Amino acid sequence: MSVIRTENLGKTYKGGAAALTGLDLEIHAGEAFGFLGPNGAGKSTTIQLLLNLIRPSAGAAFLFDRPVTRAQSRRNVGYLPETVSLHDYYSGQGVLEFYAGLLGLEPRDRPRRAAEMLERVGLANAGGQKVSQYSKGMLQRLGLAQALLNDPDLLILDEPTSNLDPVARRDARGILLEFKARGKTIFLCSHILSEVETVCDRVAIVQQGRLNKTGTLAELSRAEGCRIAVRNLPPQAMEALASSAARVTLAGAEAVIECGDDAARREVEQALRGCGAEIERIEPRTQSLEDIFFSAIQREGPP
Amino acid sequence: MRTLLLIAADSVRSLLHRRLPAALMTAMLGLTLVFSVMLSGAQEWMLERVERAAEAQPADSEQEQRERMRVLETAESTFLAMFYWFAGFGGTIIALAVCSTAAAADIRSGTISMILAKPVSRTQFLLGKYCGAVAVLCGYSALAGIALAVFTRVNGLDPVPAAQYAPWLIFCQALMAGSVALFLSLLMHPLVAGAAAYFASAGFLSPPNPLYFILPSYDRFNVFFQIAMGQLIALEDVAALTLYAFDTAAIFLLLALWRFRSRELS
Repeated sequence: MSVIRTENLGKTYKGGAAALTGLDLEIHAGEAFGFLGPNGAGKSTTIQLLLNLIRPSAGAAFLFDRPVTRAQSRRNVGYLPETVSLHDYYSGQGVLEFYAGLLGLEPRDRPRRAAEMLERVGLANAGGQKVSQYSKGMLQRLGLAQALLNDPDLLILDEPTSNLDPVARRDARGILLEFKARGKTIFLCSHILSEVETVCDRVAIVQQGRLNKTGTLAELSRAEGCRIAVRNLPPQAMEALASSAARVTLAGAEAVIECGDDAARREVEQALRGCGAEIERIEPRTQSLEDIFFSAIQREGPP
Repeated sequence: MRTLLLIAADSVRSLLHRRLPAALMTAMLGLTLVFSVMLSGAQEWMLERVERAAEAQPADSEQEQRERMRVLETAESTFLAMFYWFAGFGGTIIALAVCSTAAAADIRSGTISMILAKPVSRTQFLLGKYCGAVAVLCGYSALAGIALAVFTRVNGLDPVPAAQYAPWLIFCQALMAGSVALFLSLLMHPLVAGAAAYFASAGFLSPPNPLYFILPSYDRFNVFFQIAMGQLIALEDVAALTLYAFDTAAIFLLLALWRFRSRELS
């Protein structure tokens, strides 16, 4: 069973601006899926389509194999938007009890569950305080608490830690990792690539409303070429390598030779063997998520 | 059903916490009270004048005596009728403020996305909001009815036959105006919707205008003259007015549901 499935999903707003085009996604139970893209790429539009807040111009979306147009498709979904808007006339405890009611929790269970969630996100002492008096960070934590109220099978998170300080961000990440460890599914939109790298197994990168790249982090980070480490590189080998496509970096007694592709690697290996140099190790080259992201959106990354 | 009731209860809470409807309700009830006190003073003054006139110039005949009594009774009924009109007008204004913001406030603040991300359908949401608004209108009409009864008793006025249905008619009128406002608030800014709903009455038009036959008429609920003249309103008329109000409210509620189901909530 797929937890999230979209088929040729598209959204064109009034005025003809295409926010999303032909999105095909399938996310399975237990996956932590990162959904990346620059501003205006169509990430929030995708979430709004998944939650049936806006209507698709093309295709269809499903949650737990049910069309998103059915309210019951959201029974096991927790959602945390980028900007948390909660009814500010309730207390923190009160607002969680209200949402617990909407999730079908029995009246007698609501106060206990709300208190547990407040404790979980570090707001146990602020439960009686009016939501209108909460800071941005507290609101974000309260938003996370309401998303986790019914222990959902799927968490949809749109920039969940954007308003949090580093300590609260680490705590939130801990909650997400624990959630993931319990075999639950996460759909995470975030600009904080390190967070996505820590939490997610698979990512998709969207740009200008189109799916640009998708795969597991291992698949995407695998780059062409390799690094060859050689100890005590003989001078004649240096001369031989100078004419090759490889780049040599010396660090003390060790030389690291960067090969851009398999042809360069073969050429370097042949040259080293010809000079009698001993290869210490060969490491496949990998890319960080940041490299993957910038190459996908075709922009230069930070130096 | 439980979801609907939860949203309705939240809607009442939200409406009572929102400044404009809460201030309007308080102001209307306060003004009605002030109005009652003023009327009571005016009534005493008028009674005194009539008694002085009677002492200065005793009625020549029984017919003249009866005529004086009739004038006095009409004056009393007019006070009641004005009270009724004032409470009814207040009810309509409150209905417009409450219903035009009931769903629109959640849409504008973004809280709707948090609610609809739960297993709550759009129909449940809008019906819940509407039920909450109707509960507030019920509360206002009940308070207006109590105020009317207390006002009548305190001032020693004779209960006017038409006035007994006044609170119910105030509620019917408010329900109708509120339903129009709810529908319009899904098409335009709530403040504009409230104003448009008030003027979207056939009462502002005359028969050759085709809108006269389409738009709801709030004027039908204005029983000012019946109360002022001490006339009886037939139960059949009240039933017909009730049916008219509920039909109109249902039509506009269905229109609102239809509009809301297709509305983008980004």
